Amino acid sequence: MAIKPILNVIQRDFSYFFRYKWWIAGMISMNLADLFIMAVVYTNMVNRSIITDYFVFFAPGLTITALFAAAFMIGREINMEIRREISHYMLSLPIKRFELALGRVLAGGIRGVIYMAPLLATTLGITYVYTGVFPDALQLLTIVVALFLISIGTSGLSISLAVSTTSFEKYITARGVVYYVLFFCSTVFYPMPLIQSAIPQLAPIAQYNPLSCGADLSRAFLLKELLGTRPFDPLMLVDIALFALIFTLLATLAYMKVTQK
Amino acid sequence: MISLRRVWTVAERDIKMFMRYKFLLIMRTIWFVAQIALFGLIVNRMFDPSVQSAVGGSYFNYYAAGIIITMLYSTAVFIGYDIYEEADHGVIEYLLSVPVSRKELVLGRSIGGGLRSFIYVGPMMLFILYVIGVTSVFQLLTALLSLFLFTFGVAGFSITLAVTIKSSDRFDILMGVTDALIVRLSTTLYPVAYMPQYYRGLASINPLSFAADLFRWGAGLEAEALTPPLIATFGIAAFFSTFTFLGIFLHERRLEGGGWQ
Repeated sequence: MAIKPILNVIQRDFSYFFRYKWWIAGMISMNLADLFIMAVVYTNMVNRSIITDYFVFFAPGLTITALFAAAFMIGREINMEIRREISHYMLSLPIKRFELALGRVLAGGIRGVIYMAPLLATTLGITYVYTGVFPDALQLLTIVVALFLISIGTSGLSISLAVSTTSFEKYITARGVVYYVLFFCSTVFYPMPLIQSAIPQLAPIAQYNPLSCGADLSRAFLLKELLGTRPFDPLMLVDIALFALIFTLLATLAYMKVTQK
Repeated sequence: MISLRRVWTVAERDIKMFMRYKFLLIMRTIWFVAQIALFGLIVNRMFDPSVQSAVGGSYFNYYAAGIIITMLYSTAVFIGYDIYEEADHGVIEYLLSVPVSRKELVLGRSIGGGLRSFIYVGPMMLFILYVIGVTSVFQLLTALLSLFLFTFGVAGFSITLAVTIKSSDRFDILMGVTDALIVRLSTTLYPVAYMPQYYRGLASINPLSFAADLFRWGAGLEAEALTPPLIATFGIAAFFSTFTFLGIFLHERRLEGGGWQ
């Protein structure tokens, strides 16, 4: 396995990302609508004994929703390439199939992180203004590494879905369902004790959901348990790394298999 | 002269087409279940007791009724995606060759798009009505009649956008952005009383707010936070008239000549 061809694939997908100005504008508006409309209204409605300030609580979750949406975009492109048989052109390139597949998974992950970066900065600003807490360099690095791994895992998940269906409608519907199930069974929108009290059966899923681990890890460093969030646990990183590893392998193998058909 | 028989033939075709999307319908049902059984149940416990009384005793009931309206909206807009699928497969040219006028075609598609959304959401609506407990059949029938107009209006809105944009990617993104804003800036998820002043104006004239509040009134939810039914009905009628007219107007002028991307 050579590194240079993988980098070339990443570079190609990366340059494609910035061609989708409409996509990026659309996603930013959706993410900001979640924070500046939904979270603001919920702040006025929430029981203060459960969450002191929902707007601040949700802000770290925003980075997860943002990177998830951005990393998922690669699946949409691959689904389109398969439908329009552009994948045949990709196969004609002097790159091994494994390198091509791995490059695409990694590209999706990197795109997610790049897109998420300004939103992470927004979150850092919001949490600093509201709580006065700013993470040190090691904590910030841990957050970025965790989010990068989630992004790679998400990219792998989206590619696995994209190659499983050739219909665009089926793909976008599956994307929606995966999004809602993963997000609603996580601590992105609400804290763990609330899930435990409302639907106790859901608690183990929510606890090991990589999106929960990512959101809670960020909150642990950005909010310092000010809003009753889970403290940092190294197992969160292990959970996220496993998610990334499993879906990178799955997507790589599935992509190789589908493009060879 | 518009022939109702031909309008119905077009509508019937769209209804039959929709029922073929079995995979999509199943996925949407899962989405609904996730919204109600996961997010709704958990968030219900997150809010202050004063919120519960302001929305008529149970936020869960208030939310569930709102979700029905978002379901009606999201399934009615699907007609726009159908138009792109048809453009992709050259079916538009076939439709233009059948002995049906452009007006009948778009009117039939609006009605078909609205009716199929009603047929699909019907069982979920019945379930939610059972959970809430209907108190007045007259109120419910009045609300359902207005909701029919709402779905026809949404289908007309989707057709208007689809034939104006003529690019499936841009349409998908625009619908995503519109969905994010139109749902969040409405009373489908929360009452207007808890919104900051700067959002209230938009939420008060949002067709989704009219539809959601009218459905809640029809279901017998007694809450001060609801829009008066007469105003809501008038708002829905205005929305329906505007977008059906625009849909017919633009459909006639832009459907021919290709240019679909």
